[in-house]
Amino acid sequence: MSKLLIVEDDDALREQLEIGLMASGYEVCFSATGTDAIPAFEKHQPDLVLLDLMLPGKNGIEICKEIREVSGVPIIMLTARTDDTDMIRGLEAGADDYVTKPYKTEVLVSRIRARLRPIKSKSTAHPIVTIGPVEMDTLSHEVRKGDQKISLTPLEFKLLLTLASHPNEVFTREMLLEQVWEYTYKADTRLVNVHVQRLRSKIEDDPENPRLVLTVRGWGYKAGPE
Amino acid sequence: MLFSRLVKAALGLFRSSLQIRALVLTVALSGSALILLGGVLSVSIGNGLFNTRTEHALEESERAKNALPRILKDVVSDSTWSLNQGIKQAISELESSGVTQSRNVALLNASNRPNAAQLENSSSDGMDLALISADFRQQVLDNKDIQSLTVQIIRSGDTVPALLTGQKVSLPGGHDYELYLIYDMSNEQQSLGFVQRTLVIGGLVTLGIIGFFSFLVTSWLVRPVQEAAEASEIMASGDLSRRLQVRGTDVVAVLATSFNHMADSLEDKINDLDSLSKMQQRFVSDVSHELRTPLTTMRLSADFLFSQKDSFSDGSKRSAEILHTQMDRFDKLLDDLLEISRYDAASVTPEYGVHDMNGLVGSALAAIQQFADSKDVYLDAVIPSGAVQCEVDPRRIDRILNNLLTNAIEHSEGRPVRIEVGQNQKAVAVTVMDNGIGMTESEANQAFNRFWRADPSRKRTTGGTGLGLAISIEDALVHNGMLEVTAQPGIGACFRLTIPKRQDLADFESPLPLAVEKIEL
Repeated sequence: MSKLLIVEDDDALREQLEIGLMASGYEVCFSATGTDAIPAFEKHQPDLVLLDLMLPGKNGIEICKEIREVSGVPIIMLTARTDDTDMIRGLEAGADDYVTKPYKTEVLVSRIRARLRPIKSKSTAHPIVTIGPVEMDTLSHEVRKGDQKISLTPLEFKLLLTLASHPNEVFTREMLLEQVWEYTYKADTRLVNVHVQRLRSKIEDDPENPRLVLTVRGWGYKAGPE
Repeated sequence: MLFSRLVKAALGLFRSSLQIRALVLTVALSGSALILLGGVLSVSIGNGLFNTRTEHALEESERAKNALPRILKDVVSDSTWSLNQGIKQAISELESSGVTQSRNVALLNASNRPNAAQLENSSSDGMDLALISADFRQQVLDNKDIQSLTVQIIRSGDTVPALLTGQKVSLPGGHDYELYLIYDMSNEQQSLGFVQRTLVIGGLVTLGIIGFFSFLVTSWLVRPVQEAAEASEIMASGDLSRRLQVRGTDVVAVLATSFNHMADSLEDKINDLDSLSKMQQRFVSDVSHELRTPLTTMRLSADFLFSQKDSFSDGSKRSAEILHTQMDRFDKLLDDLLEISRYDAASVTPEYGVHDMNGLVGSALAAIQQFADSKDVYLDAVIPSGAVQCEVDPRRIDRILNNLLTNAIEHSEGRPVRIEVGQNQKAVAVTVMDNGIGMTESEANQAFNRFWRADPSRKRTTGGTGLGLAISIEDALVHNGMLEVTAQPGIGACFRLTIPKRQDLADFESPLPLAVEKIEL
């Protein structure tokens, strides 16, 4: 059973989330304030974090950054539709996905499922996928660049693997939303932009002049020329 | 053509510039005064010169007459030969005895004595006797006094004015003769010309000086007014901090002071309104934000109850279903309210891109098809071949199309709905027409009002929020376009969206007519 940490300050919403998510088969633990979030995270070691951005004490964006320093655990933001800038800042701080209030249980659960689904490689016979100097082990989920080990979050791993499995093939942002985030309806394509930036900052020599994950203007992205 | 354009430009300048108007008026009025003065001076100087010369000429003519007996004292009065010799001698003597300059002299025979026929007319060489008209000769013969007449003579190729005097004289032997003298007046004419030239040049210089000084004075007077006009313009374009400098205590200073006063109170008022509007916007945003958390909880509760409904009794089960669907409606209403408040606060920034209107209509039709099928309404699309490219925010256009189609399907009473796309050089139009219950003119005028419904009873049979068309018209306006409606009771309604193909295009006409007609399939 997967364990979820819910950081949410509203008591009624927290209780209702617990009822709904437990009925969907998850184990749930909570933090009611921003200041308690990190201790709760360390104590429970959850498989996924649901994070409200507006919190008393410490705000969601700072919590997101602190979790990312120690862990690649999937983080889904819970935002109000009015906070467009907050949503982008949350993604830049390391959140994998977002759900806007008021959300339906089924939407929330489908987002959680997508993030918890194990990453499968198409071929188990050749577990190593390379892109330029970067080697990805699809069994151990280890990523190396030369001698250096690179730590990617599961989402970043999936994004890079999707692109690298089809080198030089162009993926539109919508295709990536569907294949990496598992969206079946229209979603904000800025989700893709922000995560490509984060991925580049980890694997590229110079993230300003990417050579591995390239932008195809007017279309989307593709894995590098090598 | 060029001239009329110049005149138009000059008139435009005259109308638009207070300073130029004052300048032109001052110069024109002083110019008229100078012309009047110059005219009077010129005439009186001319008359003075002419009169003096005429007096001198008359005196000379008198002296010439008195000199005749002395010249002719040796003439034998009954010898016509001697008389003729005397006449010739008199001509040459009188020619050279003038005070000022040589003059032309003529002695004409007017005698009625028996031997008069042998007597000659005599005149100076080169004198044109035609100058002495028969009328003037008669006038001389009828009067005892000297007669005078102004004539034109040719002197070395030029026509110059001259004075002709004529008088009766009696020659020895009792012969009546007429003595004519012609005085050249070109000197007087030259003097008058010189005076007139001096007057004209002096006048022009004076006019120039007047123009220059009135330019200086009007600039000095107009500058504060111009500054006030510029400051108002700057304030009108949004910079409310602009003020005028107050110098001295005259009427201009009063103008500047009251202008600044007006600007102060205007700035205060605008700032008040601005902060009020910001507060309002902030309030709506906060309210909807605060509503979202309890709404999420209610939504999750409703979802949970809905998922468990099969274990409920009939009443509880139906309640769970109703709660579930109404949550959607509540959600949509909150979204619409928030959107309209964004428009009210003018905090909407469309994301423009070039899109094919046919494609947008196609996807709107695909999205609404299920709803149309549920109402048993046939959707008829009239679409031009080829792409209809336009610069739009696709999300907003899609929202307009969805609203118009939903409305049409709801009010069509099962009859077909037609959507048509048209384009011209500058604009793209989409009309959505139904043959439903229609609306009266006053109802159509209210169609874009918030929370207004076409049904007289305003019963909420449909799921709309009542804000759909109000948002749609804002969506159209933000594209610099328009959304219009025409309707007739019992015939139907037609909505027309017109938007420019590019955001920099203006003055466009809609490519499609706005009219309701029977849809023939």
